Amino acid sequence: MDLASLVTPLVGALSAASSLFIVAAGLTLVFGALRLINLAHGSFYMYGAFLATTLAAWSAHTGLWIALVASPLLAAGMGVVVEVGVLRRLYAREHLTQLLATFALLLIFADLALRFWGKGVRGVSPPRVVRGNLELAGAPVPLYDLVIIGAAVVVGGGLWLLLSRTTLGWKIRAVVDDPEVLAASGVNVRLLYTGVFALGALLAGLSGVIIAPQQAVEPGMDAQIIVAAFIVAVIGGLGSITGAAVGALIIGIVETMGASWAPSWASTFIYLLMILVLAVRPWGLLGTPER
Amino acid sequence: MTMYGPSGVDVGDPSEGSVDPAETPARPPGRTELVPRLLGPIALVVVMAALGFLLSDNVLLTLQEVLALAVFATATNLLLGQAGLVSFGQAVFYGLGAYTVALGWLHWQLPFWATFVMAPLLGALVAVPIGLVALRARRLYFALSTLAFSELAYQLAESRYDFTKGANGVFGAFVPTALTYPRTGYLFVLAVTVASLLLLWKVNHSPFGLVLRAIRENRGRMQALGVNVYLHQLLAFVISGAFCALAGAMFVVYSQSSYPELLDWTTSGGPVFMAVIGGMGTFLGPAVGAFIYQFGHDELVRYVSDWQLVLGVVLLVIVMFWPDGLLGGLGRLARLLRKRRGDR
Repeated sequence: MDLASLVTPLVGALSAASSLFIVAAGLTLVFGALRLINLAHGSFYMYGAFLATTLAAWSAHTGLWIALVASPLLAAGMGVVVEVGVLRRLYAREHLTQLLATFALLLIFADLALRFWGKGVRGVSPPRVVRGNLELAGAPVPLYDLVIIGAAVVVGGGLWLLLSRTTLGWKIRAVVDDPEVLAASGVNVRLLYTGVFALGALLAGLSGVIIAPQQAVEPGMDAQIIVAAFIVAVIGGLGSITGAAVGALIIGIVETMGASWAPSWASTFIYLLMILVLAVRPWGLLGTPER
Repeated sequence: MTMYGPSGVDVGDPSEGSVDPAETPARPPGRTELVPRLLGPIALVVVMAALGFLLSDNVLLTLQEVLALAVFATATNLLLGQAGLVSFGQAVFYGLGAYTVALGWLHWQLPFWATFVMAPLLGALVAVPIGLVALRARRLYFALSTLAFSELAYQLAESRYDFTKGANGVFGAFVPTALTYPRTGYLFVLAVTVASLLLLWKVNHSPFGLVLRAIRENRGRMQALGVNVYLHQLLAFVISGAFCALAGAMFVVYSQSSYPELLDWTTSGGPVFMAVIGGMGTFLGPAVGAFIYQFGHDELVRYVSDWQLVLGVVLLVIVMFWPDGLLGGLGRLARLLRKRRGDR
């Protein structure tokens, strides 16, 4: 086995892991700060992708670039509306209530999307600069795969910088431990919650645009991605960004290897893996146990 | 008298009062109270049976499905409302029940009656290992764990084509001809529903049910009292699994087929919604929720395409403003009126 035959599947696995990571990072960020599982995360992702296809149809050359800004903003806006309109009223209630509320939102957004964009499968091709293949160690590698990997590195690095190097970051980390003390020290906790939720939504919208050129953009992708993002976040440990990266790598590699070795068992194996992790460490590989 | 409703769903949440509200009526039940208490359920069953001879075939078919869902939701609510365990994996057992009947016929030519009785037993059997694993996690992680089992079951049913016929599902004449007529099918399903609900009622109102509620309200205290929390919750999971599987077998009378979607996590979400809509703090709430949910669905899809939108809005409104569901809310209203009258 030479290097070249390893490179293509490896890049494929890394690219799959990267797109999973960007989606799961937003989900886990929101859970980390708000202790809330947001099923509507999938809706933000889908709206991001849908808007990208609309803009690309409107202008083939610049559409996707505009979407790179517009889609995250749309998603963040939806996030603000959802947080202020619904979730803010439910923080005091138990997990089931919040879970059901975000599920209700997922259903509502799904039907609204059908009204705006219809039932058909939509597609968009990558911008011309990043189209085609690249020669890497003698093996052909799709250039857009590298773009996705790069985006994941940027998002991961950005989140790490935000959380560990900025004042906003320590506020986000502090609000998990003790919202009351944080509020008493003069931080507007309500605004912080809205901000974190909007940031999570923004990441979902961003991942929607980035993934749009690589996957079929269609109704139902919201529920599909949310299950995938869950597995990643749960295996890595809900609330941990590093955990999301680890979880995404594991799933990305298992998926790619499984698809070539035992296609009909690949997805079964992923759920077995998730159950195994939950049975041994219910809080995930890098998460912290619930108090 | 306090509700033991949604307010206490989180296990270990010590808020919200007494442990056994359902069995503490304002007055001790004398003989005069016993008769009216039985009268309601008996009248309900008589009316339901009479409807079997009055309603059109179409409605009776819908009612078959509704009754299967009512058992499904009530069995799920044993975990949800009583034990405070939010399971998003009860479709594993629902689908298992349906597949037991379908695959028993397909591979071994087993008669319907045999597989129908086997379904709840298999459900209980499969619930043991799943419960052992899932109950190691708590609250949210329990929900996620059961959801993973649901997806695992779905993937297995879809990918093992040789055994399950994959995404196509299993179709065939595995239901006896007598039950394929809407009326006989309905009466059969109704009889099973009544028996199941009576049994589940007994479980709810047994000392075991009481311990489940006590664990939900204050897990730590029950542990300190020497109660084996894990074992009690496991038993609840097994009982619920058995009845969910029975509901799945009932569903086959209506659908005459079994397919992977019956196992998937959105199917698992169904009984949770029904319980929330009807009121998971009450015994009949989930069953009422099943009626509203399924009839609402069937009526709405005829006129509007946005069934999910309507369901989403209804769910959101209930979750936000009416957390104890329809029956819970009506109960509150009734108590309020009674109190008013008493004050006068």
